[in-house]
Amino acid sequence: MSARTVTIQYNDKVVRQFLLASVIWGAVGMLVGVIVATQLNAWRVNFDLPWLTFGRLRPLHTNAVIFAFVGNMMFAGVYYSTQRLVKARLASDFLSSLHFWGWQAIIVAAAITLPLGFSRGKEYAELIWPINIAVAGIWVVFAVNFFWTLAKRHERALYVAIWFYIATIITVAMLYIVNHLSLPTSLTHSYPVFAGVQDGLVQWWYGHNAVAFFLTTPILGIMYYFVPKAAERPVYSYRLSVIHFWSLVFVYIWAGPHHLLNTALPDWLQVLGMTFSLMLWAPSWGGMLNGLLTLRGAWHKLRTDPVLKFFAAAVTFYGMATFEGPLLSIKAVNALGHYTDWIIGHVHAGALGWNGFMAAGMIYWLLPRLWNKPLHSVSLANTHFWIGTVGILLYVAAMWVSGITQGLMLNATVEGGTVLAYPNFLDTLNAIKPMMFFRIIGGGLYLVGWLLLAYNVWKTISGAKVVDGAAEVLVDDTPSPRVGAVGTFLNPPVVFSVLGTLFACAWMFGGDVLRLLGLFGTITSVILAWLHFEAKIRGWAEWYERLLVNAAPFTVLTFLAVAAGGMIQIIPTVIAQRAQNVEDRIQVPYTPLELAGRDIYIKEGCYNCHSQMIRTLVPDVLRYGDYSRLGESIFDYPFQWGSRRIGPDLARVGGKYSDSWHYQHMLDPRSLAPGSNMPNYPWLFTQKTDLAALPAKLRVMRTLGVPYAEQTPEEIQAEALAQGERIVAGLREAGLHTAPDREIVALIAYLQKLGKSEAVPASLGRKSEGQRSQVATASAAPTP
Amino acid sequence: MKTSAPGNAEPQLGKQKPSRGSALPGRAPQPNRDSVTTIRDDGSRMFLHPADARGFWTRARRGSAALLISIYFLLPWIPVGGHPAVFLDIASRRFHLFGHTLAFQDVWLLFFVITGLGFGLFFVTALLGRVWCGWACPQTVFLDHVYRRVERWIEGDAVARRKLDAAPWDAAKVGKRVTKQVAFVLISAIITHLFLAYFVSLPELWKMVTHSPGEHWGAFLFMAVATGILYFNFAWFREQLCLVICPYGRMQSVLVDDHSLVIGYDTKRGEPRGKLGTPDAGACIDCNRCVQVCPTGIDIRQGLQIECIACAACIDACDEVMAKVNRPAGLVRYDSTAAFDGARTRWLRPRIWLYLVLLAAGATAALWALSTVRPAVIGVTRLGGMPYFVDAETVRNQFLVRLVNKRDEPVSFRVSAETPEGLPVRLAGFDELLTLAPLAEEVRPLVISVPREAYAGSFRFHVVAQPEAGGFELRRAVNFTGPEPEFLREDAR
Amino acid sequence: MSASKPPQEPGEDPIREHVFDGIAEYDKRLPNWWLMTLYATIVFAIVYWMWSQHFRRDTDGQRVDNVVRELRAAKLAAAGAFDDAALWAMSRTPSIIAAGEVTYRSTCASCHGANLEGGIGFNLADGQWVHGGAPVEIMRVVADGVAGTGMPAWGGSLGPRKTAEVVAFILSKHPAP
Repeated sequence: MSARTVTIQYNDKVVRQFLLASVIWGAVGMLVGVIVATQLNAWRVNFDLPWLTFGRLRPLHTNAVIFAFVGNMMFAGVYYSTQRLVKARLASDFLSSLHFWGWQAIIVAAAITLPLGFSRGKEYAELIWPINIAVAGIWVVFAVNFFWTLAKRHERALYVAIWFYIATIITVAMLYIVNHLSLPTSLTHSYPVFAGVQDGLVQWWYGHNAVAFFLTTPILGIMYYFVPKAAERPVYSYRLSVIHFWSLVFVYIWAGPHHLLNTALPDWLQVLGMTFSLMLWAPSWGGMLNGLLTLRGAWHKLRTDPVLKFFAAAVTFYGMATFEGPLLSIKAVNALGHYTDWIIGHVHAGALGWNGFMAAGMIYWLLPRLWNKPLHSVSLANTHFWIGTVGILLYVAAMWVSGITQGLMLNATVEGGTVLAYPNFLDTLNAIKPMMFFRIIGGGLYLVGWLLLAYNVWKTISGAKVVDGAAEVLVDDTPSPRVGAVGTFLNPPVVFSVLGTLFACAWMFGGDVLRLLGLFGTITSVILAWLHFEAKIRGWAEWYERLLVNAAPFTVLTFLAVAAGGMIQIIPTVIAQRAQNVEDRIQVPYTPLELAGRDIYIKEGCYNCHSQMIRTLVPDVLRYGDYSRLGESIFDYPFQWGSRRIGPDLARVGGKYSDSWHYQHMLDPRSLAPGSNMPNYPWLFTQKTDLAALPAKLRVMRTLGVPYAEQTPEEIQAEALAQGERIVAGLREAGLHTAPDREIVALIAYLQKLGKSEAVPASLGRKSEGQRSQVATASAAPTP
Repeated sequence: MKTSAPGNAEPQLGKQKPSRGSALPGRAPQPNRDSVTTIRDDGSRMFLHPADARGFWTRARRGSAALLISIYFLLPWIPVGGHPAVFLDIASRRFHLFGHTLAFQDVWLLFFVITGLGFGLFFVTALLGRVWCGWACPQTVFLDHVYRRVERWIEGDAVARRKLDAAPWDAAKVGKRVTKQVAFVLISAIITHLFLAYFVSLPELWKMVTHSPGEHWGAFLFMAVATGILYFNFAWFREQLCLVICPYGRMQSVLVDDHSLVIGYDTKRGEPRGKLGTPDAGACIDCNRCVQVCPTGIDIRQGLQIECIACAACIDACDEVMAKVNRPAGLVRYDSTAAFDGARTRWLRPRIWLYLVLLAAGATAALWALSTVRPAVIGVTRLGGMPYFVDAETVRNQFLVRLVNKRDEPVSFRVSAETPEGLPVRLAGFDELLTLAPLAEEVRPLVISVPREAYAGSFRFHVVAQPEAGGFELRRAVNFTGPEPEFLREDAR
Repeated sequence: MSASKPPQEPGEDPIREHVFDGIAEYDKRLPNWWLMTLYATIVFAIVYWMWSQHFRRDTDGQRVDNVVRELRAAKLAAAGAFDDAALWAMSRTPSIIAAGEVTYRSTCASCHGANLEGGIGFNLADGQWVHGGAPVEIMRVVADGVAGTGMPAWGGSLGPRKTAEVVAFILSKHPAP
């Protein structure tokens, strides 16, 4: 055995850069959050300026907090801990720098384009396609830098934190690329390649797992490094790490459809979304338990050490959020909570409590170690903690009360369930107004806490000399045991998992015989796996130990585990015949003017407050009309089902109000809807619709398969103007004046189109089509 | 390689590596800092049998528990102002609280209850540690003072219970166990039924109990599930809930500081511990009574721990032993960490002031919010479809006015519109007084017309409702809208 | 209760050999109830899938359709069958007329006048019917409104029983055929 000692100088410069960026962008993201919360209370705070309206700033808030604040924090934590856990300096200083500056450039580009209204119209995926390409590129830089560092490691085995980082890197790449597949119509605009239910499924596969693999797994990795370091305690259980890592990454990916419960999403996907969310409860709590019980031995130190305070509280909030999540995924609970503030509260318990507090704990722990100077003020850090917890309490309590109040009011009926108790949506909005005020107070207090941290950081690092970590490492050149391709795949755990999954697929998708075989096979492989595990537990453990010294096979297996759920859910939906995604109605394609109006709807971020999905729930049907069918959004690139109803659903708003109503309402919502908190949109009455872009948009739509006839650009624009003229003439009769090329006209054309569809011949519909109620169909019959 | 875990070298740790999770009859477990006492090495649940504690704190806690349970049981029975003291009537969307009635529109006031509870806990914990857990939490109140008491009656004291655990399944054991579990199920059912009484009137509840479940499946299922959960929790899960599920259990350690009152062990006085007669030994005689009485399986001498619910059983146990060996009481006592370290407790610290200020602000906001709650609610919305109507003579807007009477008596309202002065406005819909039955809700249209020639554009006005008897006034600001006036003139020409 | 397990040997807590950057790892068993929770959710998933995909015959949409149809049926049943004859009969029943008058005063009088003399809305007493004078036609106008005019749809908020009562009240001011 040849052994020698080398000294390794860590690259802590990039850690410091990311850490400071996280502090700054955190403050920016939270500030925007407080501003949009204020706008919900006081519509005047929209200032009648396009780039300051809620619909454009809310994406800025979410993107800033997720990608700028948590992103930078994650990179700092990953780079700091990985170097030390694998005993190697980051592979390339150039790539590290490129990663940092590239990421900041992306953030700045996002902060400019989002308020200007450049948007893809999908939540947390709003950035336009050139920036998407940059994000993917920088993510690859991160991946290369990370895996290259692993390749140069002096530590054979991979610690649990590294497992979580690997899962993060490959999964985020997969999610991001698939959900951003688009066809550009111009330099700043594109249409996603999926529409309707397919787009919805892909979007929430991405959206849910952005939470899972951007906000959870990297932070769990960070927890596994920084919590035992700060507590100076051993990790509670290695075997818990193994079980909860693999169950978490495998199960998480399937749970996306729980964002679409009770919608038109096919039933089997809803069932998967709900059941996998419930199965996710124990794996998530495994992470919480491991963190908590690791801290347990150092419990008496929590009194004095702000770092441990933040970690203990963060782990607690993680536990609360991951309990609430499965609860909200139960269809009956979801019927009450979805589209209300309850969801917003749930998200913020995770974002403020888990991400924000983990970030704060990590930053307070890293500061003295990266700048070689004690923290400027421990009591200030404690104050940050007190203020932060009060802020979270106020915020979450307000959102919880608001969500339940509105949910109960929206679902309340009288006269034996035949009549809604509060038929006007505004009655329910006005009831939760006070809660919207208290969320500002809660969020504001949290922001104040963060500013205290920023001040503490500033005081600590000013005048301090930076210090880069170094370590003496014993280099052992004896080759590690290789597992190779055979060892990677042909071993009991993998074979049983693959068999079980394949049988489960046969059970889910097969015909009668195959289905029975699949069910039998699934259960048999689970029992066999369990028996084999009990008998050969040592063999399983030894194989896993061998796997841990082989980074590439480990990565491949992780990829397989995270890819399975998405593939099984998405591929059948995407390759399915369009007819099977239709049910008994099919959308009429938008006219050019309506399409232009739709792009204005997306640009102004209307989807942030309005859903276009009437759920299969009686109160929804009583309030908004017959429930939405898959076919009714089949040409919607992107889908606009929405995730929150700050205003009412718009799926069937077409024809419900006159053109003059919409005209007045967009100009001054409160004139027609007393108490509304919607912004005014005066610029829609002066800005001209971008008719010149329509030919390129229609061309892309045709490529995507929307049945538009071939038309010359002149014909398209003439058609749009002609429709505009008709609307303007109608408005003129009601005593209102505008020109046919104004944005308001296009938007009215779009809104009046919503809910217009054609009945489909039974031969095209789904199997249940024939049995569908004729009463319900007739009640929302299309009015051409 | 064996690494001794760093950072746990406090003096109060036991010297020897204790045997864990021992289930020998008659012996209490030996807790340590590295493992959870109630989880055995094979992952199974270690069932605790806390010994009986006697003394001042035990008596005081029993008294407070009896009071709390009686309040819980009696509130739905005591009528205040014609309704039960607390009656959350979801079905009719009215909430009766100590003679006051709130409507659905007032549910947001619940926010003050939740945050008040939260703030109260922050404040009380900063001052007094986990008193909530030990004294007021329903989990502790029902577990310690109901379920464990029943268990004690049926199965005997801690030693007897451990013996029974180890005994073979003979008729006596089966009899005791069945009796106990049946009693637990019954108690759980009683608690859940009383819970339901907060939401359903008592006669209604009685009807449900006496009729077949087929007539009210929803309520029956809810009761069955709730009873099942309570039974599982109190019969088996017990302190695991405090350890794993309850967030407040963890928040406590981050909420206490050096000057908060906690239950602790006086290391200075107690160490080095030793049996009676050991030379140079401290006051602790290492009798392990404090461990035996602990309902969560910790050794208080190892410092503040995640499991501790501050039930004070170890204080009583230690005081009793100290009295027997003629040493002063208070080796284990309520005190601040600072005081245990020999310093003075600072009761009023900046944090306490901060919480006081926040509490005062919250209380002010809550009072203000309550003061805005009127005995009635008004809402004004538009009659859908068209924003306005223009006919030969007038421009017209149509609204719906919703009035909710929260009083238990009929109230008559005069509804009017405060429109800009000098504008000839015609109001239709509320020519006479509108009388609302007790607790009733009425929606009726309000039509406002302005003559064409007088119409000069949109304007803002107030819909005002006043009870005939006076006392308060309800207002809502609304917009009257219409076409651009110049268009009207054109048409007229 | 698992009390009959043999007492355990006092032993060291199992700690793993390898230390990463100073971080050691115990290798303790998970609480069994945690594992049971995981297994229980898996079993639930399988059972729920089988129930929803193999045994349940109707979809969510069909269930809503059924409920809505039932609601409609209930509405109809609550008020009886509203053909012309029934409404005329109701218009001669004092208790129904009284109930209809209460609703008329609160909902209709603002436009159609306290004595049906009209105002913003049409006169309902003069026997001239713009939208059709048969009782069922009147009822349809009340329930569904008249698009583009000021007459809103009241069916949704009144429900069929009250709607029929109002129509009966109006009819009571007219001679029966």
